[in-house]
Amino acid sequence: MTAYLQAVGLDHSFGGLHALRECGFDIEQGRITCLVGPNGAGKTTIFDAITGFLRPDEGHVTFRGRSLDGLRPQAIVHAGIARTFQNLRLFTELSALDNVLVALPQQFAEEPLGAIFRPLHAARSQSQRRADALRTLEHVGLADRARETVRNLSYGEQKLLTVARVLATGAELLLLDEPASGLSAGALDAVMALLRRLQTEGKTLLVVEHNTRVVQQIADEVLFLHQGHLMARGSPQQIIADPALAEIYFGGAI
Amino acid sequence: MDFLFSYLALAAIYVVLGLSTNLLVGIVGIFSVSQAAVFGVGAYIVAHFLMAADPLSFLPALAIAILCCVTLNILVTLPSLRVSGDYFVVTSFGIQLLATAVFTNWTSGTGGASGVPGIPPADLFGYPLESTFQLMLLCLAGLLLACLCFWLIMRAPFGRLLRAIREDELAVAAAGKNVLRAKVSAAALAGGFAGVAGGLYATFLSFIDPSSFDLDASILLLTMVVVGGARTLAGSIVGPFLLLAMPQLLTLLEIPTTIAATARQLIYGLLLIAFMLFRPQGLLGERL
Repeated sequence: MTAYLQAVGLDHSFGGLHALRECGFDIEQGRITCLVGPNGAGKTTIFDAITGFLRPDEGHVTFRGRSLDGLRPQAIVHAGIARTFQNLRLFTELSALDNVLVALPQQFAEEPLGAIFRPLHAARSQSQRRADALRTLEHVGLADRARETVRNLSYGEQKLLTVARVLATGAELLLLDEPASGLSAGALDAVMALLRRLQTEGKTLLVVEHNTRVVQQIADEVLFLHQGHLMARGSPQQIIADPALAEIYFGGAI
Repeated sequence: MDFLFSYLALAAIYVVLGLSTNLLVGIVGIFSVSQAAVFGVGAYIVAHFLMAADPLSFLPALAIAILCCVTLNILVTLPSLRVSGDYFVVTSFGIQLLATAVFTNWTSGTGGASGVPGIPPADLFGYPLESTFQLMLLCLAGLLLACLCFWLIMRAPFGRLLRAIREDELAVAAAGKNVLRAKVSAAALAGGFAGVAGGLYATFLSFIDPSSFDLDASILLLTMVVVGGARTLAGSIVGPFLLLAMPQLLTLLEIPTTIAATARQLIYGLLLIAFMLFRPQGLLGERL
């Protein structure tokens, strides 16, 4: 059986910094996998390599048995993998609804000719898509903030909006970069509930997370990354109980 | 009366050109300072075909100019897909200087520094538009069509995509959209607008020379967009009407004509600085 998502021998250097070293792992469909490790372990670099934002020096990524090598970011979204960013990268001057609308696939009049020559058709199809986008916002609990400019949303709301935007792409594998960092306790619970709900709806999640409480509560499996290499994998309990990993994770920083 | 008609016609032409600049600079964030060059190419091409030994009528000549300007604008905008923001300004500056050099020195094609005199007035379906009033109506029709296109685009998903690209290209790619294709489409559209403006300009003034399409003209265009306001239709309309009225207002001050031209450049420059510092969103627009 071919793995759902498989990374083999990923290796990448930024100048003198060896960010990924022979890094390989696979992910099972329908699970929440957490990617943990100290700062600089290469977690975001792995996201970049999977989603086409970075071409690794060595190694390959396959998704459902299909190679993703050399594909551009938008092609990887079409293949079914979408990501969020640690620094959110929302369109801050657009409304929450427009942020979601941008990500909806295959819209009519997304090029000038359709917009100019078939304006009525464009308007009709837009009102449908707007309803779709609103449902996505509802799903993450932001329906009442749809018209608000992103700049005016709270940090917690902005994080939820990044999830809404990846959901809108229709991707089945979601790569979430620190969805819970910087959130208040209430917002944290909302995000965790949302992630679990997405799982029950059939999404597969790969999540970079620092908060051990979050990892314990949501992860089916944990991948522990250190210096660009996969050091250990297992259940959250196994990983957290391992004194050697705790030493790396907490000891290295002090 | 003819004076008023001329003002309206010229302002209409500059609105079409302003929409072109606003689309690239304001909406997509491709900071081009060479839109006057594309405008010039449109003007020279229409002039050429109207004055050929076997002359074309206006609309076919304009169609050719539009096609050429679309292609040209895609080509001159291509570097912006490779080099980012600040670097592209310098590249675009170079393109503008290059174009001025060609306009001035390619004597057999453009008449060189002395320009092309005696461009015939436009005709529509064989009916010549001879009075200033009729030509003004033609320019206003161009303005209406361009504004309609701009409005339709901005309210369609394409407009939203362009706004998103201005904010964050990577995030647009991560949302599964083709940034390159959208930028090329915007450049094509801006080129088309510049071509229409150029064609109208040539036939309306009946005389063109390189000074209308040089760096000063590009900067005047940017000033119009900045003063009117970036990214909005209203801003693109207000800017040209206001700035083209200014020279007329200067004449009321009874300044000698030799000083007036310099004074105008001075005022454009001051306006540009003042608006950037104190009102970056222009009169009716958004922050550039």
